[in-house]
Amino acid sequence: MSTAVERRTGPPTFADVTRDVLRTLGAPGNLYFAWMCVVGLILAGGILAWTWQIWIGMGAAGKRTPQMWAMYITSFVFWIGIGHAGTLISAILYLFRARWRTSIFRAAEAMTIFAVMTAGLFPLIHAGRMWFAYFLLPYPNQRELWPNFRSPLVWDVFAISTYLSISTVFFIVGLVPDIAALRDVSTGWRRRIYAMLALGWEGSHSQWRHYRRAYGLFAALATPLVLSVHSVVSWDFAMALVPGWHSTLFAPFFVDGAIFSGFAMVLVLMLPMRHYFGWHAYIQDKHLDAMGKLILVTGLVLTYFYLCEIFTTWYSGDHFEKASLFWRITATYAWALWLMYFCNCIAPLVLFSRRARTSPTMLYIVSILVLIGMWFERFNIIVPSLGRDFYPYTWGIYVPTVTDTMIVVGSFAWFFILFLGFIRIMPSLSIVEVKETLPLPVKDRAHGGH
Amino acid sequence: MHRRDFFKIVGVSGTAAAVAGCQQSAETLLPLVVPNEQIVPGVAAWFATVCRECPAGCGVIARNREGRVVKLEGNPDHPVNRGALCIRGQAALQHLYHPDRFAGPQGRQGGALKPVGWDEALKTVTAKLAELRGAGRGRSVALVSQLESGSLGALMDRWTQTLGTRPRVTFEPFGYEAIRAASRIVFNRDAIPHYVFEEAEVVLSFGADFVETWLSNVEHVGGFSRMHGFSGGRAGTVIQVEPRQSLTAANADEWVRNAPGTEGLLALAVLKVMVDEGRAERRFGEAVAGIDVRKVAEESGVPVDTIRHIASVFGRAKPGLAVGGGVAVTGAHATATLVAINLLNAAVGAPGRTLMFGADVAYGNVTPYAEVAALVAAMAKGEVEVLLLGPRVNPAFTLPGGLKFAEAAAKVPLVVSFATHPDETTALAHLVLPDVHWLETWGDYAPREGVLGLMQPTMSPVGDSLPTGEALLRIGRSVLGGEEGKGPLPWGSFEQYLRSVWEPLVKAEPNGWERALRRGGVWRQTPAVAVTTKVSTVEAAPPKLDGDAAGLTLLAYPSFRFYDGRSAGAAWLHEAPDTMTQAVWDAWVEIPTETAARLGVGAGDVVRVTSPHGALELPAYVSSTLHPGAVAIPIGHRYAGYHLAQKYVAAPPTSLSPLALLGGAADPVSGGAVFLGVKVTLSRTGARRPLAILQATHDQDHRELAQHVGLRAAREEALRGKPKPHEFISLYPPQQYPGYRWGLAIDVDRCVGCQACVVACQAENNVPVTGKADCAYGRQLHWLRIERWAEGLASHPHNLFLPMLCQHCEVAPCEPVCPVFAAYRTEEGLNGQVYNRCVGTRYCGNNCPYHVRRFNWWNSEFPAPLEVQLNPDVTVRQLGVMEKCTMCIQRIMAGKDRARDEKRLVRDGDIQTACQQTCPAQAITFGNLKDDRSEVSRLAHSPRAYHVLEEIGTRPSVAYLRKVVREGA
Repeated sequence: MSTAVERRTGPPTFADVTRDVLRTLGAPGNLYFAWMCVVGLILAGGILAWTWQIWIGMGAAGKRTPQMWAMYITSFVFWIGIGHAGTLISAILYLFRARWRTSIFRAAEAMTIFAVMTAGLFPLIHAGRMWFAYFLLPYPNQRELWPNFRSPLVWDVFAISTYLSISTVFFIVGLVPDIAALRDVSTGWRRRIYAMLALGWEGSHSQWRHYRRAYGLFAALATPLVLSVHSVVSWDFAMALVPGWHSTLFAPFFVDGAIFSGFAMVLVLMLPMRHYFGWHAYIQDKHLDAMGKLILVTGLVLTYFYLCEIFTTWYSGDHFEKASLFWRITATYAWALWLMYFCNCIAPLVLFSRRARTSPTMLYIVSILVLIGMWFERFNIIVPSLGRDFYPYTWGIYVPTVTDTMIVVGSFAWFFILFLGFIRIMPSLSIVEVKETLPLPVKDRAHGGH
Repeated sequence: MHRRDFFKIVGVSGTAAAVAGCQQSAETLLPLVVPNEQIVPGVAAWFATVCRECPAGCGVIARNREGRVVKLEGNPDHPVNRGALCIRGQAALQHLYHPDRFAGPQGRQGGALKPVGWDEALKTVTAKLAELRGAGRGRSVALVSQLESGSLGALMDRWTQTLGTRPRVTFEPFGYEAIRAASRIVFNRDAIPHYVFEEAEVVLSFGADFVETWLSNVEHVGGFSRMHGFSGGRAGTVIQVEPRQSLTAANADEWVRNAPGTEGLLALAVLKVMVDEGRAERRFGEAVAGIDVRKVAEESGVPVDTIRHIASVFGRAKPGLAVGGGVAVTGAHATATLVAINLLNAAVGAPGRTLMFGADVAYGNVTPYAEVAALVAAMAKGEVEVLLLGPRVNPAFTLPGGLKFAEAAAKVPLVVSFATHPDETTALAHLVLPDVHWLETWGDYAPREGVLGLMQPTMSPVGDSLPTGEALLRIGRSVLGGEEGKGPLPWGSFEQYLRSVWEPLVKAEPNGWERALRRGGVWRQTPAVAVTTKVSTVEAAPPKLDGDAAGLTLLAYPSFRFYDGRSAGAAWLHEAPDTMTQAVWDAWVEIPTETAARLGVGAGDVVRVTSPHGALELPAYVSSTLHPGAVAIPIGHRYAGYHLAQKYVAAPPTSLSPLALLGGAADPVSGGAVFLGVKVTLSRTGARRPLAILQATHDQDHRELAQHVGLRAAREEALRGKPKPHEFISLYPPQQYPGYRWGLAIDVDRCVGCQACVVACQAENNVPVTGKADCAYGRQLHWLRIERWAEGLASHPHNLFLPMLCQHCEVAPCEPVCPVFAAYRTEEGLNGQVYNRCVGTRYCGNNCPYHVRRFNWWNSEFPAPLEVQLNPDVTVRQLGVMEKCTMCIQRIMAGKDRARDEKRLVRDGDIQTACQQTCPAQAITFGNLKDDRSEVSRLAHSPRAYHVLEEIGTRPSVAYLRKVVREGA
């Protein structure tokens, strides 16, 4: 893969866009394969660990009484959170006509789908008898047994499957004109596949009209999901009694956290792409600046929620809540809590500086910290809260095992292998929408008029 | 199973099994191919017998399903235990079906025990005996048995006399010889009396661990519960004087920590104060003339005020009961101590009321330890050529290390053991002739005068074993050259002998034999024997101890889970925690905080304990309550011989017994063994072996899980009645119960923390054993646990025992969160759990505030043939599902079925949960909460009733009754 892309000075032309995007779909270089190998190996390790866990039992993971949930649900919520930015960018920002979204939304949408696909694995990994996980689906059966619609886990099933299907459709619809462009330039079997996926797109006026309508409709449909999915996921906790979980704060708190981590993940993915693909013309400083601002704002809101959480705990006078919070702040898992506060509250403050917001390095560092912080946020909600709940007899410390660590690390590999695959077979920058933002190609301007 | 039904069923099947039981069919673990007419699939038969896990001799009824015993319960008719059973009795099944049990006779070949045939094995013994008899050296044959107060003992005595061997040695490691000697000295009666706790107003115990193992723990816990439990505004007082806060001390209203060995002095000081204050007759003054209360206070570390307080409480008792002679405090001065205690008894009018001679306890027939020691000495001198060791006799483990039994046994040319399981002694034996388990045999056992328990086979033997009585008969006949039906040993089987002995006993009653079998024995009123008190001066100063004078006194106390180690093969017992420490599996050395700090030892650090007679390495348990001059180690923990232990414990240590540290000395007066006899020194080894402790903390953190109320307040409440209950505001309509609403009431005031319910539940509900590592990591599977909550000073806490099980909440947090309705609410108020439906999200486990839901982290194994014990009425759960207490749903179903067959409703008391059934303290009551007249309703509406974590609003179906504490105590 060639990284030495010459930097153009002026805005790109339509032809530049098509070329720049299609170039990313060419034969990959050694670096790409090296990455694929590393990620593939880690993924294989994760699959092996999961197989072992299914074979020997959930005991292979470090769960226990009282932490019946631990790293799997942590990672589940983390990945669902990651999955938020994509739809937010494609749907809400589309409806608000935030033009800076155009250059990032495609990759962000792909990230969303892959993140939800990763998240969706965790309930399976987590279930004691994953082979019966289908019991959670409301399928007609002769026993007339239905899932328990009062259970937040059933809400999860609906929320997540809805989210996954809507965002997938939305993603595919958005891809149609670009795939048509791909079809037009490719040959052989690729062409046949792209032709199928392009759904006979010809770029006619009526097609464009339908396309626009459909896209707008899907955006409107997806918008509430951005808020609902993570609210529902948060109710897994808020609906439970556990001190540290039982809070009405959780839905907005989780949605905000999700957007926060989602944008961080977008940056973590886009910054290297911008670098390697030479997309500086499309992902400009102003784009970075906008995303930096969003991270900063969501980070500040999150800090506010953290303060609220502490305040309400203190103000409630509830002995269990207070004891739980005090223990989380001071005891065994305090390091995780303070790490979270640092990553999510302190680190993003750098982004008050415009220089930091436009510096890819700074943004990258902050984003990584935010991701770490957000993973630990979920960890801190789940593991320490459970470890110090109502009943002192069973209080205990969760210790991860090799198996569950390998599975969690493997989930990252799974996500990255999907994403790495995606950037090689699909346009990760929207050709159509980027072109829309460019000045119309006027012959005279390009060649000085002759 | 209700008593009436039990009679009905036994009436039909008792005789049938009696016939089947004597056959040596053996070897078939599978149900019969040709069905036995008496075996009705799905219907249990119950057989009464006697528990032989310790010499207490409780009555047992064994539940036989399809030919195999699956559960033991106390015989409700038996005068000793009245339906209750202790933890060891409950776990006896695990010995019956133990994977390591001898499958048949074993002979030592090339250093290892190898299976041999019965004929060959018996011939070996016969030949040797005949040879010795021929040579006129019959006296070089020794027969050692456990306490056999019935026919087997008589047969053995006949056998030894006929063959001209040494007289039989009745060996019990805990023989309580001093109690017997003190009775002889003070009351002029050479016997151990029957202590009647329930008649006492005040019990003053000097180290008698009557809740754990002392004499007859089930009986005494029952008595304790009746005298001490709050009922009708009345409640007795118990004071325990002991250097260690044992389980018994934790149950006492007052625990007085004394310097080890000063019990006798304290008893005399109390008596002295009583005499001085006119609470005891003047004549007792003679005995305490030389006692200076202040000096005793100094020596014992018990303040003068406390001694006076004890004297005033005990002196007022009408009657009181003073007990002593707990194993841990039995030193060379034990008899003197018990004489002092007997004087106290005499002073409060105990004889004839709380101290009954006449109903003498079988322990009085134990051969004093000094004679056992003499036998070991004879062995060491080569005077013994054949040593026959009866079942459950394990001297290699239970004799003090100073006696060097193993070395002595090496000098004996033929050591024959009748043990059922491999142990330290069979490791020395040349021949093992495995006895049948006591659940498979005929027999009888009289725990005290007037109570003759009858034993019958409750199923056919698991392995190829022979009842010891029969083996002896066959050996004896062969040696004498006689044949069956003739000579001094004419009986063909032990059963024949037994019936010949019992014939006169049951003659009076029509159909007497069968009725005795059904009842479990014959009970007779024994007239109380009046005794006179002889008052004389007592020299009860603490004994001089062996070892480093600067060392710490070793307190070796019998574990209530393993007794002398004979019960240690049962994994259930290892996994039920020691209630005070909440430790499971490995043994530990309890070290006072001060010493631990000095040595720099923390919990789990391996410490080397050295005495002049041996050394032992054990993990430390740092105790804030233990007397600073002592260390304590439980007796009875052992893994040796059991391969099964390796499955549950990593690198099981071979030596765990504090007896190895003791010298071989005896109390010169009674001839009893000296357990309080050595000082030990401790040193750090640097190794670590953390204990698996189930309870994270003993501090309730102001959560009021286990609650208490003062005695005065409880009386006032009892008069006023319960205040109007708090009304719950709910958007939902209240739950309707069309039929019954089941519930439990658990009296925290009565619970003594004996763990019997925990094991009963495990046996009834097929709860698997998980092993040490999983227990240490919160993965034990018990449906029921006993928590110990400590309040007050760390050095002197008040303890509350709280049995915690599924609360079957009306507003159950586990139910709405289950995505698949695996957790659901039944119409009868139970919180159901459908294993087949469970996906294993474990959400319910998180949301249960009590954390009583158990998850199957692995696929559980029941090593063969232990799986035979599984209750066929209860599902064995698969990996990945959640489980929890069902309130013994199978028993509820059975009770309802029975009621339906009889066209009536379930009556109060028809259904008993397994935990309730076995509870020696009767702390648990099950019943219909909808019925206002049921016992459980009455208790649940008592002013003492409360719900654990009531403020969360779960509305449990399990009500707890506050413990009643004595003000000022």
